[in-house]
Amino acid sequence: MKDPYEILGVQRTADEAAIRAAYRKLAKKHHPDVNPDKPDAAARFGEISSAYELLSDKDKRARFDRGEIDAEGHEVHQERQYYRDTPGQERYEQAGGFSQEDLEAFLAQAFGHAGQRSDWGATGRPMRGRDMQYSLTVSFVDAARGTTRRLALPDGKTLDVRIPPGTEDGHVLRLRGQGGPGFNGSPAGDALIEVTVAPDPRFRRDGDDIITEVPVSLKEAVLGTSLEVPTIHGPVRVTVPPGSGTGTRLRLRGKGIRQGHQFVELRVVVPPGDEPELAAFLKTWTPKGTSNPREGS
Amino acid sequence: MRFTAVVALFPDLRAAELQGWVERGWVRPEGDEPDWVFQEIDVARVRLIHDFRREMAVPEETMPLVLSLLDQVYTLRGQMRAIARAVEGQPEAVRAAILAAIRG
Repeated sequence: MKDPYEILGVQRTADEAAIRAAYRKLAKKHHPDVNPDKPDAAARFGEISSAYELLSDKDKRARFDRGEIDAEGHEVHQERQYYRDTPGQERYEQAGGFSQEDLEAFLAQAFGHAGQRSDWGATGRPMRGRDMQYSLTVSFVDAARGTTRRLALPDGKTLDVRIPPGTEDGHVLRLRGQGGPGFNGSPAGDALIEVTVAPDPRFRRDGDDIITEVPVSLKEAVLGTSLEVPTIHGPVRVTVPPGSGTGTRLRLRGKGIRQGHQFVELRVVVPPGDEPELAAFLKTWTPKGTSNPREGS
Repeated sequence: MRFTAVVALFPDLRAAELQGWVERGWVRPEGDEPDWVFQEIDVARVRLIHDFRREMAVPEETMPLVLSLLDQVYTLRGQMRAIARAVEGQPEAVRAAILAAIRG
């Protein structure tokens, strides 16, 4: 639909009286009933009416002027047109162009050789090298125990990265002087390495303690047993005392991170399927104690 | 777009302020006052200056410096794109020679 101001033939600054006058004049001229010989008069009259309806309503007119609604009164979905995305920036271009040094530096950057050559070197002024960012993923066990990883850098060099014991997910290691080279005697930048710790289904971490959940059968829980459990330092045998239950915690001293411990949390699994003998026994069985597990709840 | 229509885009922009921006050359619409015509790029620039002044509270006396640096960056970006396109359009051997020359 066309601009309602254009349809009525008025200025955008026209006041209400001027708009009303223009509308009346056009409505008279284009009313379908006074133009029986013009088939398009109805459409034209409709346009004029809609335009007047919009412009005679103070609020609607203001919203239209601000670009919030279109000529048909529909909301305009306003997408902000940013300067950088708008064509025609040449209009504001400044005089002067590339110098030879500019060109070299620009192309060096465009083709990924930033820092190898820069016109900064030619200025004779010192400037510290750039910090370089890398990321590294290590297993839960490696992060807990500490390890050393070799990173292959984009420029073909390698970097040995020491991951200290107990490194947490998202930790950033800073290796001084391993980033981009400095200029004119200034030090190199640093390498910043973000460590991602892959989760391990066997282990959970609580500070420097490690928690492992281990399922045991009903028989093992009642009678006690000896099991092999995983720790971050390798498998360890642990004694389950008789009469253990779900939630019983066994401590493996010194098997955590640094000075931490590992805790084995037991989870009792009732035998799946039919166990008629166990059922028959439980029916006749009277516990010695009178403990009610729901007592106090 | 006409001057009054541009002013109307911003609830807090007065005609005198926009006029000042044009007079100082921050925005350069076509035509002569009061028949200035703002192209799309001019309107986008008014929005940008409006952001600088209102959202970022850049002082008026700092604006020429900010706009000058901004225009330099955009000028260089345009030139760099032109050169990158030119290099891209060259035969492989020429591209390799250019790269080698850059790497020294």
